[in-house]
Amino acid sequence: MSLLELVQYATLVVLVLDAVGVGTLIVLKAVNRRRRLATERRKREYMRLISRHVAFEYCTDPIPADAARDPAFIDAIIDFRNVLAGSELANLERLISRHGVVRRLIKDLSSPWKVKRLRAAMALAEIGGDETVDVLLAHLDDREPEIRVQAARGLGRIGWTPAIDEIVSRFGRVSPWVRARFADTLIGFGADATWPLVAYVMVNHRHETAGPVAAIRTLAAIGDAQAVKPLMDVLETATDTEVTIAALDALGSLGHPMAAPVMRTAATNPDWRIRAKVVTALGQVGDVGALEVLATALTDESWWVRRNAAAALGAVPGGLDRLYEAVAGDDRFASDAAMEALVDIGELTAARMRMEGGIAAPRDLALISHVEAHA
Amino acid sequence: MTLRTALQWVGYGVFAYFILMQAYILTLNMISAWALRRDHHLNRFGRVTEMLSSRTTPPVTIVIPAFNEEVGIVDAVRSMSLLKYPRFEIVVVNDGSKDGTLQALIDAFRLEKVALPYRPDIETKPVRGLYRGRGAVDITVIDKENGGRADALNAGLNAARYPYVLCTDADVIFEGDALMRAMARVVEDRERTVAVGGNIRPINESEVALGHLIEATVPRRLIPRMQVLEYVRTFLGVRPAWSAINGLPLISGAFGVWRRSIAVAVGGFTPGHFGEDMDMTMKFHRHCRAQGIPNRIMYEPTAVAWTEVPETRRVLRRQRIRWHRGLIQVVREFLPLAFRPRYGVLGMVTWPAIVAFEFLAPIVEFIGWIVIPVAWAIGWLAWEPFLWLLVLAFGMGLLNSLVSLLLDEAHGYFDSKRDTARLLVMAAIENLGFRQLTVWWRIRAMLGGEATKTWGNMERQGFATKTATAPPAPPASSASRP
Amino acid sequence: MARILIADDSETITTLLATALQSSGYEVEVATDGNQAYQMGLESEHDLAILDQLMPGLLGLEVIDRWREAGIETPVIILTGVDDERTAVESLDRGAVDFVRKPFRLPELMARIRQRI
Repeated sequence: MSLLELVQYATLVVLVLDAVGVGTLIVLKAVNRRRRLATERRKREYMRLISRHVAFEYCTDPIPADAARDPAFIDAIIDFRNVLAGSELANLERLISRHGVVRRLIKDLSSPWKVKRLRAAMALAEIGGDETVDVLLAHLDDREPEIRVQAARGLGRIGWTPAIDEIVSRFGRVSPWVRARFADTLIGFGADATWPLVAYVMVNHRHETAGPVAAIRTLAAIGDAQAVKPLMDVLETATDTEVTIAALDALGSLGHPMAAPVMRTAATNPDWRIRAKVVTALGQVGDVGALEVLATALTDESWWVRRNAAAALGAVPGGLDRLYEAVAGDDRFASDAAMEALVDIGELTAARMRMEGGIAAPRDLALISHVEAHA
Repeated sequence: MTLRTALQWVGYGVFAYFILMQAYILTLNMISAWALRRDHHLNRFGRVTEMLSSRTTPPVTIVIPAFNEEVGIVDAVRSMSLLKYPRFEIVVVNDGSKDGTLQALIDAFRLEKVALPYRPDIETKPVRGLYRGRGAVDITVIDKENGGRADALNAGLNAARYPYVLCTDADVIFEGDALMRAMARVVEDRERTVAVGGNIRPINESEVALGHLIEATVPRRLIPRMQVLEYVRTFLGVRPAWSAINGLPLISGAFGVWRRSIAVAVGGFTPGHFGEDMDMTMKFHRHCRAQGIPNRIMYEPTAVAWTEVPETRRVLRRQRIRWHRGLIQVVREFLPLAFRPRYGVLGMVTWPAIVAFEFLAPIVEFIGWIVIPVAWAIGWLAWEPFLWLLVLAFGMGLLNSLVSLLLDEAHGYFDSKRDTARLLVMAAIENLGFRQLTVWWRIRAMLGGEATKTWGNMERQGFATKTATAPPAPPASSASRP
Repeated sequence: MARILIADDSETITTLLATALQSSGYEVEVATDGNQAYQMGLESEHDLAILDQLMPGLLGLEVIDRWREAGIETPVIILTGVDDERTAVESLDRGAVDFVRKPFRLPELMARIRQRI
């Protein structure tokens, strides 16, 4: 075959593909449009129907027998589930159970179609009741990550506390996305999740990073003071920088003074990221005993540590004096950091007002002149 | 070798290049199709509502540079403030506007001047003042001296309080869940995701009210319509593929989420650069790979923002010349990345492909448009093979457009009969004149000269008449043009 | 027959309210964004408007402001988010007759509507 013939054949093939493409596009656009409009119309009808059932408990308008199979119906139910409360919600739940919606969805979960399974999982997470707990637990290990997420969400919404251990035990084995969603569910459980999370962190933090770090962050978000003591242990025994940082972060946001002494010992860590975290956390705790540590950190070699230390001093009782001392001091880096922190918390404005009122203290004038010299 | 054979070989070479390029783009289309199919289900169920109620979703700073945007800025900020996202702040950088941009903001959002010192992590033009909103919207306004779009964005990066920064423009209209969908990529893998780009679509002739898109249509006018097709080819046909293999060379300036710490580490956007968005993306790649920072630079097709594109040939010409100037600058700086295993897929695949099929394309194509007709006219070419080759090349170009339009059906825009017809007509006639124009403009950019040294004002025709120094710079190089 | 204007970008809420109100014998008009609500208020008179605060186009409170500027004195009930204390208080200051938090209880909202008409 000559080159020309090759080109000719190739051209014909491409032209045929073009024709097929044009045809497919026209048909697909038309089909998609019709399907979209039809779904929208059905959903609107269902919404009106569900509205009547929700608003009036004894509404007798019939609901089509095959509605439970229609994604538009499920969509409409989920939309309502999220805006209703009280007796209207009860009416909606009655409607859901009467029409076998949940049974249908559970069946869909084992369908071979991924999209169908996902839709079912999400719907169950939104509307499933106690009867779905076993199914949801089983799907915490689904091969599709999104379905694991939905299973956990459903369990969280139902408030099934035995699920906490199940979710926590999978923390280290799932992808970051699933872990973030699992964490949300656990935060929803509140203090009930504290001990399972603590246990998980204690066991794993020396040979794993991602799971324990996420668990520690979750503990911080839950905000239960019972986590303080175990987190102190973690801080003392941690071998991983990320874990240490997460623990400091959490202890800072939990804000319990008991943790301050342990935190202070980390202030001399060679890693500047840890030092920067320590001073911030000490500021959050408001630890008076940390004044020396923070004042020393003002002269740290890292800009971040100096900045965070200055900000922390602004929050700790007695810290303001230290900041003013640093502004007037010889160390230029320390004085800059202190100045920024003072301006940040409004001391500059206050000093200017005092100056206008003629009651400015020497340190007010020093701050103002320092800021002006800086600008 | 006679002149005649030489000419013939040049002719064949041009065609071979052309067909190779089309094959390369069709390969990318196939990878895109695979990537879109793989991720399609993710965004249809749940994701958005889950993130909205989550306390672990990272907060975002939205940076909007504004130069003489008095007319549109308030609507723009208000529209952004209604984005569905758990926690975000808006930073508007008034880049030395000569109109009442600052006053409009002060009035609308009850701004108060604050005495915060401004911390220049990145050097910028002097800042005159910082304002904070006292109303319902969490907004900070930086009033600074004029320094161009990149400089304004840098000022915004400096003032950003949150770890991720969305850089955009005052005339970009975001879909309500766009930021959420982009940030889902970050939550997916927070350790590695350093930047995410969104999908830009032309809004010309669509119905817009108060900073919101009411209904999208394919423009009737040919110049914006051609760009609709170009954008679909780029954002559906090409970028998903690059993103899937972690070799995305460009996040468009109109919709880019950047991790602040790295943006600061690379020195921010380069002031005066003609393609500062591509430059930034490449700097992210280079920095992360060189420093061994785990990285993933992503593109999210379901995160959609709409923007007005040039309506007239004159404005489009200026934009294209500027884009190609930007590409030239980027190629000049980052050429050493090519074929360096250290830079991964980007260094080994996408970057060489960009240079070969984007940077050099106008030269080869231009030679073709001159040499072949001349050779034909003086009877030195057998017409038959060349006619076939021409049909083949155009056919492949059309196929490329069709595949991209089919991929766009994953998300279903423009589905009326009229829109379909307009798109198909455009795909068919695009090769007859429009493409040659863009080739010529890019050659023009390569030749240099005064005409190519300015940014060029974007002239807006659509929903609000206003001008900006910094037109949105979406697909600087779309790699999908035949 | 009293005429009521409902404005909310959530179709669920507008459908639910419209259904409930129509069954109780009110005439109902629906707007899906703030701008549309504002326009509909200009075009015809209503005995009451129920406006969501967070709508595209114009916020509920802004619709009130613009109506009052245009001399339209329709009484307004504002729908606010659960923890949106600021809007709740501000809505009364800006001349709304009442506010209701989402998710709302239908009987309660209906009672407040009856009281205003």
